Amino acid sequence: MTPIESAERALRRSAVWILVSLLLLAGVYVRALVFTPAEMVQGLAQKIFYIHAPSAWVAFLAFGIVGVTSIVYLLLKDPRADLFAASSAEVGMVFTTEVLITGPIWGKTIWGTWWTWDARLTLTLFLWFVMLAYLVLRSAVHEPGQRARYSAVLGILGALLVPFIHVSVYLFRTLHPLPVVLKPGRPTLPGSMLVTLVCAFLTFTLFFGALLWHRYALARLTDARAHADAERADA
Amino acid sequence: MPETGGFMVAAYVAAAVIYLSYAAYLLGKSRQKKR
Repeated sequence: MTPIESAERALRRSAVWILVSLLLLAGVYVRALVFTPAEMVQGLAQKIFYIHAPSAWVAFLAFGIVGVTSIVYLLLKDPRADLFAASSAEVGMVFTTEVLITGPIWGKTIWGTWWTWDARLTLTLFLWFVMLAYLVLRSAVHEPGQRARYSAVLGILGALLVPFIHVSVYLFRTLHPLPVVLKPGRPTLPGSMLVTLVCAFLTFTLFFGALLWHRYALARLTDARAHADAERADA
Repeated sequence: MPETGGFMVAAYVAAAVIYLSYAAYLLGKSRQKKR
């Protein structure tokens, strides 16, 4: 099988998984909005948690992948690692944008303000800007080796923010609530809410996996076509 | 219980718009490339 055929097959398969995960996402919406009880203090706005927290997890996973694959690229100079990092950064940006939109909507109901320069919020915004710079850098540098090297360094620096963001609620005095699931010890959440949250975490992770697979296959296809065109031009 | 249903709806709609737009963009782009 040629690289073009292999990438096209991956595109077809991942497209199916994107559609499957969108259906599951619709199921999560129904479960969260209809079948999960509302919290007494915050009211219905607390349900934003079921899309906000899983999106944040996926965003951090995506940028963690950017960091790891960028290190792999710098060590092995394998262009596949560079393409995978770039794909993960783009998909991660989508999830981080969602986090930065749903967070303030939730914040307005519980803090009375859309935004506060709290450690976790500010660091997440910085991460968004670093990853935006990563994507802008990639479109600005045309020589593939140079582009991969520069963006790998920026990708690693951006990924270093992820653990800081996670522990920022412990390190600084912050308005953001402490983790209720991703923390040492048992989750502090009533059973039905925990089930909804776990379903949402699994679905968002699957959705991310499908999007990342598809974006990577697209990058491979573009790359394989460019190589084939270059070979044809040489012949 | 406080009346915060409007905020919940706004957040869920915003999330759906973001995810559906990106999925549609990605699937559309790959469809163009395959041709």
